[in-house]
Amino acid sequence: LSDRLDRWADPPLLVLASLSGGPKHGYAIMQDVADTMGVRLTAGTLYAVIARLEARGLIEAAEAEDRRRPYRLTAAGASALAAESERMHRVASLARERLRVAQPGPAATRPPTPSPTPWPALRRAAGRGPGWAGA
Amino acid sequence: MSANDGGDRPAAASVVLGRLARVALALYPAAWRERYGDEVRALLDDSGADVRTVAGLAWQAALAWAWPPRHLYDRPARMRGSVATVLVAWTMLAGLGLVFDQLTQLQGARSPAHPLIAWSYWVFDAAAAVSVAGVVIGGLPLWLLMMRTAVRRRSWRDVMCLCSPLSATAAWVVAVRITVLLLHRADGVGQWWFLALVAAGFGAACWFAAGPVLALLRLRPGGPAVALAARAGGVAAVAMTLAGAASIVAAVAVTLWAPPYAGYHQGWPLGIYVPAVVLAGVVATVSAARGVRASRPGGAG
Repeated sequence: LSDRLDRWADPPLLVLASLSGGPKHGYAIMQDVADTMGVRLTAGTLYAVIARLEARGLIEAAEAEDRRRPYRLTAAGASALAAESERMHRVASLARERLRVAQPGPAATRPPTPSPTPWPALRRAAGRGPGWAGA
Repeated sequence: MSANDGGDRPAAASVVLGRLARVALALYPAAWRERYGDEVRALLDDSGADVRTVAGLAWQAALAWAWPPRHLYDRPARMRGSVATVLVAWTMLAGLGLVFDQLTQLQGARSPAHPLIAWSYWVFDAAAAVSVAGVVIGGLPLWLLMMRTAVRRRSWRDVMCLCSPLSATAAWVVAVRITVLLLHRADGVGQWWFLALVAAGFGAACWFAAGPVLALLRLRPGGPAVALAARAGGVAAVAMTLAGAASIVAAVAVTLWAPPYAGYHQGWPLGIYVPAVVLAGVVATVSAARGVRASRPGGAG
């Protein structure tokens, strides 16, 4: 089951995390998410996420280059991403700590693979539009 | 088979999938396509398309209709679209209900054979009456508003369109009366003429609904009259769907418990009637729900 936890990855968070590295257009976001986070977003899912994040003011469109329009994080988007990252960090620390207690010995020194979570706080911030589970 | 065939096949599949992806993109609402369509096409040019891409676009297009992003949400357009769709689906349901009525309650032979049949008739009559009242009361202000606008603009084509419910009904009733007068026998007009009149009735139903829908799309009315029509459309759609459900129960019950009655000894009419009622009912209620949601002050997308 743990191998499949990456399926829970929340596309809005992945897109925000990708844009935290600078403005990107759709294809660049898709490639960045695939390369750095190992999640392949489809065009439909990506633009559903972009539309929702834009509607909630977490990202904004820059001037279009040809047909490709870059997007960048807004202050609200950066703030939401920071808050969620902090929360995830606390969850990860807690999980590591408890696993260390539950499984003493050499295995406990090897940190487990970080487990993605449903990130409810960011879901609330980005809107809980259906369809994001398809990524 | 040449060695080239193996290389051409993936390329041909890729071209087909690329086209299918663009077809799926065309399924999105117009406002969505206007805002993001070029970007998605550019992305598809860069990334190519596979089956997952096509399925994802088609699925997300359905979600974009059901839950449009807030910044692309056009309330008046959503209400007008809902009113138009509900009118078309409602007209089809009403036509199917008339066929049901003609083949059961209007046959004269009132031998329900089972209490469920009598109860279904009662529910059908009551729900259909509520639904017709909803259409008339909720639709009349919008009809008058559009008629006034059309007359002011001297758009006689729109005036004609707005009169189509009256003209279609009158034409069909006259056609039925003439047919009955000319062909009436002891056993009615006969099976084939009956089917011809039913087909003509559905043609008239299309005429009935098409006129106001075209006028709605051209005149693009707004304001409280559209909101009232959207809400009344919700009542009318739910009531007519309930009437359709009652008619299905009655028709199935008649088939089970009164087989020699009015041609119900054959199962094939049910095979057409039930899917048609279910389809029209689903379209009417889903679209009505969207319209009612848009009609609420600050209605969310």
